[in-house]
Amino acid sequence: MKRLILLLLAITLLACTNKNRTTPTTRKIGVLLVSHGSRSETWRKALTDLDGRVRNAIMADGKVKDVKSAFMEYTEPSIATRLKEFDQHDFSDVIVVPIFLTVSPHPFDDIPTIMGQKTDPQSLETIKVEGIERYTPRARTHITPLLDFTDLLQKNIARRAKAISTTPDKEGVVLIAYGDETYEKEWGALLDRVSQYVEKETGIGVHSYGWCGHLVHYDPGKTTAAIEKVLVARDKALVIPVLVAHDERFQIKLIGAGIDRIGNKEQRVVYKPDSILPDEDLEQWVRDAARHHVTKIEASPK
Amino acid sequence: MRWPSVRDLRRLNVATHRDIGYFVSALVIAYCTSGLALNHADIWNPDFVIHKKKITVPARGEVRLEPAEIQAYGALVGENRYRVFDYPTRDQVKIYYESATLHVDLSSGMGLYERVSRRPLFYQVDVLHRNSFKPWRWAADAFALLLVLVNVTGLFILKGARGLGGRGKWLIAAGLVPPLVALVLHG
Repeated sequence: MKRLILLLLAITLLACTNKNRTTPTTRKIGVLLVSHGSRSETWRKALTDLDGRVRNAIMADGKVKDVKSAFMEYTEPSIATRLKEFDQHDFSDVIVVPIFLTVSPHPFDDIPTIMGQKTDPQSLETIKVEGIERYTPRARTHITPLLDFTDLLQKNIARRAKAISTTPDKEGVVLIAYGDETYEKEWGALLDRVSQYVEKETGIGVHSYGWCGHLVHYDPGKTTAAIEKVLVARDKALVIPVLVAHDERFQIKLIGAGIDRIGNKEQRVVYKPDSILPDEDLEQWVRDAARHHVTKIEASPK
Repeated sequence: MRWPSVRDLRRLNVATHRDIGYFVSALVIAYCTSGLALNHADIWNPDFVIHKKKITVPARGEVRLEPAEIQAYGALVGENRYRVFDYPTRDQVKIYYESATLHVDLSSGMGLYERVSRRPLFYQVDVLHRNSFKPWRWAADAFALLLVLVNVTGLFILKGARGLGGRGKWLIAAGLVPPLVALVLHG
């Protein structure tokens, strides 16, 4: 019996030591586009399309050997799945590009915790409950800044407002975003910056914003309230979803229900259930972020 | 070998209903408890208890803090050893401890300390109900089928006026009313 136990212990020890946890010495860089994830196939397709549109340009100079996409929750491929794939192919560095608008616990705590970069107690417990796998890769991970780091969101919203605007002096812009409880101040400031830019570009001087996510318990009434605020001063409200991609639950069900509560909505509300993607500036931003980090990695010691 | 009589089938039916009923009783209670908890997940956290404590520190604006200053913040919430600290924005710092965090807005001087712990009983039953442990889904499928069996066998336990042919059929019809009304109202 003792021998058997010793044998089993030896096998276990061998299995543990066989795992090579050291970062490969030969430099091999990959790029991982990480988005929130959704049960909506349309939403996920927008993100995989983004991957398809940027991969050739990112890999063109041969410095980046692969580009992959991962979803933080709901569906595969997960972050852990993709990081394991990079490890299997001996990547030394993975540049993680979070496709998130601005600061929130997802890019700041959850993603680094999933990748083993950080141990946030609340994230750790939450990802366990939600069945999200945590995986610390052998490859070094480098997280790029978020979308609000540049002015691409401002340009995106201004372009979409222009597309549905007919009489700027009689219209107001209503921005509907997911929102975040911890960083509500920052989300509000971002949308204020966006609205000021829209005003400069389109001449639409009245704006409001509302949340549609967990912060407001997915209440369409918050969309209605934001629209009504604009309609006090203007004849027509242009409703623009500040959401990365199209998800039927948000653009149709939640925002749509909020608009349905407006009297005479056909005359008073202009709404196109679109999203930030597709956007050429965003594609360029992903390419630039990857290129910038490749340069940084190459300048750092192996 | 003879075909089982109606009486034999009735006895088998009662025995099946009784024994499977005993077998699934613990899980029925677990699933009902977690069902109630998860039904209201938008107004309370069924899985975790978050102990919160607000603190106030002198407002400093956009600064980078020295480890000694981070240590001093920790002393205000009874934490003497931090793991790491990070800046979510230019004027905010988040300090991580063993099972807690302290998030300080350096512009306003307001800080929020949060210690997370699992809500006893609810956490465990929620893990099962939500299939957080992936292989559990097969057990959950089997459990669902057993519940159907308990239900169907239950229909044939009594005969006569109190059985399925008597008041039973009216009570089944009455049970269909709430979901039908809800679906009609939902549109």
